[in-house]
Amino acid sequence: MERMYEDMVTARRYEERLQEEYLEGKQPSFDISAGPIPGELHLAAGHEASGVGVCHHLTDDDTVTAPHRPHHIAIAKGVDLKRMTAEIFGRKTGLAKAKGGHMHLYDSDAGFACSGIIAEGCPPAVGAGLAAKKRNSDAVAVAFLGEGAIDQGAFFESLNFASVHELPVVFVIEDNDWAISMPKERVTDVSDGSQRAGGFEMPGQRVDTDDAVAIYEAAGKAIARARDGNGPTLLEVQVHRRMGHFMGDPQTYRSEDDVADAQTRDSIERLKSDLRDHGATSNDLTAIETAAADRVDEAIAWAKDQPAPSPDDAYTDVFTSPPRGVADQAEAPSQGGDD
Amino acid sequence: MSQQDVAERELTMSRAMTDAIAHEMRADEDVFYMGEDVADYGGIFDSTQGLLDEFGRDRIMDVPISETAYVGAAVGAAMEGMRPIAELMFVDFFGVGMDQIYNFMAKNTYMSGGEVSVPMVLTAGVGGTYNDAAQHSQTLYGTFAHLPGMKVVVPSTAYDAKGLMHNAIRDDDPVVYLFHKRLMGIGWMPAPDGPKTPVPDDPYVLPFGEADVKREGSDVTIVTLGLHVHRALTAAEQLATDGISAEVVDLRSLVPLDTETILDSVRKTGNLLVVDEDYRSYGVTSEVIARVAEHDPSLVTSVDRLAVPDVPIPYAREMEDEVIPDATDIVASIESMDL
Amino acid sequence: MSASESVTVDSDTYWPADVDAEEAIVTNWFVQPGTQVQEGDLLGEIQVEKVAIEVTATTTGEVTALLVDEDAAFERGEPLLSIAPRTDE
Repeated sequence: MERMYEDMVTARRYEERLQEEYLEGKQPSFDISAGPIPGELHLAAGHEASGVGVCHHLTDDDTVTAPHRPHHIAIAKGVDLKRMTAEIFGRKTGLAKAKGGHMHLYDSDAGFACSGIIAEGCPPAVGAGLAAKKRNSDAVAVAFLGEGAIDQGAFFESLNFASVHELPVVFVIEDNDWAISMPKERVTDVSDGSQRAGGFEMPGQRVDTDDAVAIYEAAGKAIARARDGNGPTLLEVQVHRRMGHFMGDPQTYRSEDDVADAQTRDSIERLKSDLRDHGATSNDLTAIETAAADRVDEAIAWAKDQPAPSPDDAYTDVFTSPPRGVADQAEAPSQGGDD
Repeated sequence: MSQQDVAERELTMSRAMTDAIAHEMRADEDVFYMGEDVADYGGIFDSTQGLLDEFGRDRIMDVPISETAYVGAAVGAAMEGMRPIAELMFVDFFGVGMDQIYNFMAKNTYMSGGEVSVPMVLTAGVGGTYNDAAQHSQTLYGTFAHLPGMKVVVPSTAYDAKGLMHNAIRDDDPVVYLFHKRLMGIGWMPAPDGPKTPVPDDPYVLPFGEADVKREGSDVTIVTLGLHVHRALTAAEQLATDGISAEVVDLRSLVPLDTETILDSVRKTGNLLVVDEDYRSYGVTSEVIARVAEHDPSLVTSVDRLAVPDVPIPYAREMEDEVIPDATDIVASIESMDL
Repeated sequence: MSASESVTVDSDTYWPADVDAEEAIVTNWFVQPGTQVQEGDLLGEIQVEKVAIEVTATTTGEVTALLVDEDAAFERGEPLLSIAPRTDE
């Protein structure tokens, strides 16, 4: 539980600090091109329970795919925080040499990849499960997706494929009630997405309580089931979104009550109180919180100190074995005469 | 060409492909083939004939009609180090799985700054001439060549098919391998003379980015690919009787594209005809002519192109014959040039 | 090495059991006169109704003649090709 608390607090602090950094230069009026962090930013404050509840059952050999709101999952999975931060700040020493950014974080050592096309992280996770089965390893794959993703074709196809081939995959729906501005009930017929498992000969379970321990228990069962070769599971976990869909989202579609309500359902506070019940002292907890804050600040400071990429870096890394031609486009076209 | 003392064994293009696939599968446990009807049926266009018997259902995998899931699964398995070959039964079906193709398969290497590789092959049956109409007759060469991150090859003979397949499987990048249905040597869709060639028993690799001069000539260069290599050769025979010497350049590889061989040829002949079975605008014909023009427009006197016009491919024979260029069209185009 | 008499290879050898049709076509030859073959090597393909059948060598030797042209039809029982058997050293 302490390890979970540590990663949750780290994730929350990380998102809060990134929010500060991101908004720098973007006030008073939001200009997406201004500030130290390029592009969009989708922060996961409020999702922390899901990241730790699932990922703390996993090792580096297990593969996780995550959607565009990935930081809490990356932290819980053990992604290199400094290089992840450098990537988010668009620096050359980032995880992807600044070519991917916050929505495309890859850390193969930690078994983690995320992407920005809704539900499309599911098929590659299914593929990782397929590889594990073919190699007779006991690795599992976990695909995280939002509740807004369960209407996309890739989701259904992935459930079917994983089920018919009995693959070691766990699908985790993070339900934060909102797909950008669309509340769940406007776009989906089911209030419990895990019910969709029923159409695929697969168990489905929903954890309602935004509670790291409860999620940990449910995920543990699903992951064990997969490791034992008994096939995939569909989990849905309730979380909440404390900030907008992306930084800059004025959330005018959300009632004030809903925003306030989200603020009160804090899974971190809940775990903190659980830890106290188990005998943790204020000192213990403060120590964890301070260490987490330091780690986050250190990562951000390190990242901001990293060199920017050079414009010509754009031409490399298209291929693992580059053919001629792509890099040539960086040169001026040759003119006239014989070569 | 040296005289052959002993007549060599020839193969159809499909058998040359399966020859290469079988060899690579014997050599490497990580290679497997997945697609619709590839197991018992052996592929609708004979792409996996005979492989099920040797390798079994685990490695010659039938998949559900679920392109997003199984192409995405191939991506995920490849990212785990396996070497899947995923087949689109018809290239026209790319639409239902295109996100996994162009946003994941093609971009994961770049978006991760070169950290991950996707060593997979995406095979697809292409081409018309048998009245399968607009959704089952396309080649889409331009679509795949245009989007960054995937190598694209198009064999026109059995010899080329085997060498390109060995390379495609061994290459650490995603390779889109487009095989023309009419060239495979299927009983119910007879091939022209031409694709069936002697094929060495032993494995060999044809490099990507190397076009092949299939017929030398001095008056005009015909740059083409796939089925139209054979139509161009037929046209060249006809033109020879009219005293016109045509050189036929088989591109074999669209990404990377062998600009040098094209330039060498037009330097010699001074006249260029590009023939393509994909749509006319914004495609292969445009690209080849642009590459010559940006290098040195004074190299060519006459330039023309033949391609499928910008219409969906029609059903009735008269209309399909009208829109897909044939040898007569090639002859007519050249005879109207000022050579 | 001297070849002994050519042996013809009969199409009946390859006819599928449950097919009524008495006519077929040669869809592909993979060898030509002069090609050296081993017993079991793939020589060509025939198509009987919708079924594609492999024609494999019944003996080791050298192909001496292709008796039915590619894309041509033949009747069940007609010889397809001749091979001069070779006893291997």
